[in-house]
Amino acid sequence: MLAIYKKELRAYFNSIVGWLFLAFFLVFVGIYVYLYNFLKGLTFIGYALSSISLVFALLVPMVTMRIMAEEKRQKTDQLLLTAPISIWKIVLGKYLALVTLAGIAMVLISVYPLIFSMFGMVNFGMSYAAILGFFLVSCAYMAIGLFISSLTDSQAFAAVMTFIVVLLTCLADGIANLIPKTAKAAWVTYTVVLALLAVWLWRAMKNTTVALIVFSVCEVILTVLYLTNGAMFEGTVSKVFGAFSILAVFDKTLTGVLELRLPVYYISIAFVFCYLTYQNIRKRRYS
Amino acid sequence: MIEAIGLVKAYGDHIAVDHLNFTVEKGQILGFLGPNGAGKSTTMNMLTGYISATEGTILVNGYDVLEEPELAKKSIGYLPEQPPVYPDMTVTEYLKFVTELKKVPKKDREREVERVIEVTQLQPMRGRLIQHLSKGYRQRVGIAQALVGNPEVIILDEPTVGLDPKQIIEIRDLMKSLAKEHTVLLSSHIMQEISAVCDHIMIISHGKLVLSGTPEELQKQANQGENIELEAMATKEQVTAMLERLEGVTEIAELPSESENSYAVSIQSTVDLREKLFTMFAEAKLPLLKLVRTKKTLEDIFLEATSAQPVAEEEEASEVLAESAEEVTTEAEVAGETVAEENEEKEEA
Repeated sequence: MLAIYKKELRAYFNSIVGWLFLAFFLVFVGIYVYLYNFLKGLTFIGYALSSISLVFALLVPMVTMRIMAEEKRQKTDQLLLTAPISIWKIVLGKYLALVTLAGIAMVLISVYPLIFSMFGMVNFGMSYAAILGFFLVSCAYMAIGLFISSLTDSQAFAAVMTFIVVLLTCLADGIANLIPKTAKAAWVTYTVVLALLAVWLWRAMKNTTVALIVFSVCEVILTVLYLTNGAMFEGTVSKVFGAFSILAVFDKTLTGVLELRLPVYYISIAFVFCYLTYQNIRKRRYS
Repeated sequence: MIEAIGLVKAYGDHIAVDHLNFTVEKGQILGFLGPNGAGKSTTMNMLTGYISATEGTILVNGYDVLEEPELAKKSIGYLPEQPPVYPDMTVTEYLKFVTELKKVPKKDREREVERVIEVTQLQPMRGRLIQHLSKGYRQRVGIAQALVGNPEVIILDEPTVGLDPKQIIEIRDLMKSLAKEHTVLLSSHIMQEISAVCDHIMIISHGKLVLSGTPEELQKQANQGENIELEAMATKEQVTAMLERLEGVTEIAELPSESENSYAVSIQSTVDLREKLFTMFAEAKLPLLKLVRTKKTLEDIFLEATSAQPVAEEEEASEVLAESAEEVTTEAEVAGETVAEENEEKEEA
């Protein structure tokens, strides 16, 4: 595990990618720190951080796109997977390298509150809680990027996919607010989702009857529920969409509340996507 | 050292490896021979645990590759078809990484890197980035990587591809020297290569084992009996009448003749009939135009074994897959050459 961790980290800093990641990150943070903290005279770094969350959509794919896809393309995965090391450790080694990269970035911006304190009163607890929260958010996004990279052997595809997914989660809150909240809209949405699931089932099983039966049964249940207890559906779609907003939990830290929910939430996301990566690599051996 | 029992790999409807059984003993160099797409790489990928088998078990050094992957993989050094190198690392950096990956104790790592560099003669390239190396050197880095940690079993997939003749000889010598302490399994689609290095040959075609044995055994089996080509100024009837009187003829096959007045055959027999044939034809006043004793080379055996798989058999194979493994083995044996059959029995014993 350590071997892979070291190799990845070295790869980042032997090439331009790692430096570029840090440089872009610092530039973006710097701009917003300048705008919020220096121009407006605020001493809380959280405002700057919450404004640059869209930057994740650019920076995460930059470092995660090659991490799995490139191994597959240049067939070095044959070396890793035939070495006496478990797949878990391969995934973990790579993931920890990404986390370290994010960690270095966070350590660098940790200087800001100290600088602010030279000019006024700084609530260090709140500031560092925000930075910690920001770090955890990036850990979650890194895991998502890692997983997407393991799905393909094309870096470009991995980058675009990661960009879209991260962007969607950043925008999820906004989208959720725009979605109609009526029960009817919910019913239509769920029907479409069910239809998509049925198509997927049909493609996976190559069995039309099963797909149709599953779809019909679920649709009937859905419709009955909608007709008898329509109120239950109200606003659910936007809630579901809102759940994809990974940043929502982080935004709580801006009000100065550091809940236990925050680390649990982001670490769970990271774990789930690392696990999916692991399963995906395992699955490849059987296909 | 390596034991494969009833190995099957199916990709959907396509069966890449079809009930392969074999064992490789310690200190043996086993050569996998087969045309492109015969299933050599697939088999090797299964042996090393890179992909899993659809059916069957693999034991390496006594460990099941799927049950105890880390222990099994620890005793394998593997060079895949394409050397698994990182282009952005130097040779030494890369080998150092491999020593870490293969859990070579920290104090031995430097020495281990030096050792494999020396064995594969990579000294002049040690500081270069792998992306700047020629194919031959990259292949050597791949071989060096397989040797790291001195594993008991070394599996090399077409190790001499891309090497120049001098390097090929060096690598062959290297493989021979490795066999003293290791078990070596290598694949190739070139007969000479395998027969020059290996002490046991397995010929695979369409995922099935068609022939196996030592080069000498294969040679002997191929030349069981005598094979004579004869052409005489005579009609077909005259020649066949003559041959019928001879003892020991097992098979007669017509060959294309040079002219309309002559007739050519190839004769399989248990003893050398050349002398008798000569006198018989001379007495009958039938001029012999050609009388040659032909010998099959290993190359012929290879071509024969691998081309003797008609398309019909593939269909049969997929039907057969549903049946039990035992039945399939026997069927496959029947389908193969008689020589193969004898040999497999020998192996099983």
